[in-house]
Amino acid sequence: MSMGMSILLFLIPFVAGVALPIVTARRSAWRQPIALGAIALMTLVAAYNLRIVLTQGPIEYALGGWAAPIGIAWLNDSLAAVVVLAVSTVSLLTLVYGRVVVPARLERSVSYYTLILVLLAGLVGIVFAADLFNLFVFLEVSALAAYALVGASGGKGAVYAFRYLLLGSLGASLYLLGVGHLYVATGTLNMADLATRIPDLLTSTAVAGGLIYIFLGLSIKMALIPLHGWLPDAYQNAPETVSPLLASTVTKVALVAWVRIEYSLILPGAEVSAVPVLVLLEEVGVLAAVVGGALALIQTDLKRMFAYGGIGHVGLILVGVSLGNATGFAGGIFYLLNDSVMQAVLFMIAGALVHGHGVRTLDDLRAMGRPSPWLTGALIVVAVGMVGLPPTGGFFGKWNIVLGALEAEHYLAAFSVVASTLLTLGYFVRVFAAWFHRPGATSAEAPMAPGSLMASLGVASVALIALGIFSDPIFKVLIDFVSGGGI
Amino acid sequence: MIHSHDSVIVRTLGRIVIPVAQLFGVYVLVFGQYGPGGGFVGGVVLAASMILANLIYGLDTKDTWLSRMVLHGDGLGLLLFAGVGGLCLIGGGVYLNYANLQVPGLDEASRRYLGILLTQIGVALDVAVTGVSISISLSADDEDDAEDEPFRA
Repeated sequence: MSMGMSILLFLIPFVAGVALPIVTARRSAWRQPIALGAIALMTLVAAYNLRIVLTQGPIEYALGGWAAPIGIAWLNDSLAAVVVLAVSTVSLLTLVYGRVVVPARLERSVSYYTLILVLLAGLVGIVFAADLFNLFVFLEVSALAAYALVGASGGKGAVYAFRYLLLGSLGASLYLLGVGHLYVATGTLNMADLATRIPDLLTSTAVAGGLIYIFLGLSIKMALIPLHGWLPDAYQNAPETVSPLLASTVTKVALVAWVRIEYSLILPGAEVSAVPVLVLLEEVGVLAAVVGGALALIQTDLKRMFAYGGIGHVGLILVGVSLGNATGFAGGIFYLLNDSVMQAVLFMIAGALVHGHGVRTLDDLRAMGRPSPWLTGALIVVAVGMVGLPPTGGFFGKWNIVLGALEAEHYLAAFSVVASTLLTLGYFVRVFAAWFHRPGATSAEAPMAPGSLMASLGVASVALIALGIFSDPIFKVLIDFVSGGGI
Repeated sequence: MIHSHDSVIVRTLGRIVIPVAQLFGVYVLVFGQYGPGGGFVGGVVLAASMILANLIYGLDTKDTWLSRMVLHGDGLGLLLFAGVGGLCLIGGGVYLNYANLQVPGLDEASRRYLGILLTQIGVALDVAVTGVSISISLSADDEDDAEDEPFRA
């Protein structure tokens, strides 16, 4: 059974998602528990899967029994297992959180839960796919679910969901165009096959162009500056329960897809017409990290601020994985895992503020009465993580990116991490100044947060610190992944 | 909602064309085992025939429980697909490896035949229902009255 873990991880959300409309057609109260149960089961299986992969090594799964170059293969390696575990845990937390703040129209809507489950199935597919075209299919499965989720409660969200759809489809088309180029040039779509053929072919304009199209397409999906236009509006106007889920999963998994392609196809030191590819990617990441942080600093809307913070972090992660050494790569991926949890917590806090206090902007925050201590506590933990101070995982991610940058003697990259840290500190200072500002003498008792909110925020904050405390074993897994040759 | 067409020619032709189209859809679905065709194409032909029927004879706007359930058929189709694959998994093989379908009294070739046919029927069902529901969604001319599903139209 250990063979089929990857397909099982896909089938749990997928079957639950498509069965939900039929099973609960007349019992709308069952929808939430079934979705929650399916994702909880998925999280357990993902944890077990990680254990299996760590003991047995990477497992390749040939769908239908057709081996890789002819059939479709799924690769279940330590990178995939770690990411799937992170994605399912974060989704579970956001769904628990959704018990409190879900808009009344969505709470019992069958479409809402089906879309979440299908989104998860698509994300699992992206992470496991060892085939460029298969990756495209799952990219679209998850993206279509994401578009619909952004517009799920109608209103302004629907407008921005449509814009997200247009840009996302452009991204998907570019990706597909790139896949076409690579297929014509190499005659294969399997990543392991491509990895043996591409390095010699990088001089060909078709291959270089194909890789550029793939990168541009995935850049739109992962909201890399300057192709991030859809993200802040979409997350700001999405339903309160949807933005934490999307912010912590969709962009990160698109980034993982790119990391996989970059890692297997572009060797360190690869050059196209005397331009070192990885260094170029790193510069793009530097730009995104600094500009994203600066844009976050000038926002007044909390959700937009956090969205730009996430955009900056995508750049930071890209810097880490493009340094061409194991330290930087592990640091980047580790930071990605952290960022996934941090984005979830940030948008949960922002959503709870909108839901419980009607607070959207910094000015509203300044005028607000005393918030629940759980919100304050979670905000402090996540701020420490975002800025990157030692007890949280954020520190160890950034530290290793800086170490990797110094190891590669790329001082600009090291500088960008520091600059991004300072900018992050800057916007959190603004948030805290507004947060602890009390209008007049309000001595009212702080309101108690509902149980699910406490649970989700508490578990996520503990996870942030735990990622820091247990960073050593996780780094070991990631470093082993790099030195083991990965794909 | 779609109003029925009042031309006698259209209605009479529809009566002839629609059954033929549906029969052809099923033929394409089953023939997919041996040649070009299969679930997707067969489903599209079936969907086209049903959309044609809607356009000619009009759509009964009565929003019954059954009519809403029928539109969940895409879930059923996907379940059929995933379910047959899952049965192969339970039968001790790889997902979608139909040789591992545990059907007593069938040799391997027939088991594969059965597995592919069932998944293709699932695909056809899915495509047909999706096609029809898209055409219905496009023709919904006014906002639906307070429904429990926020984004149906």
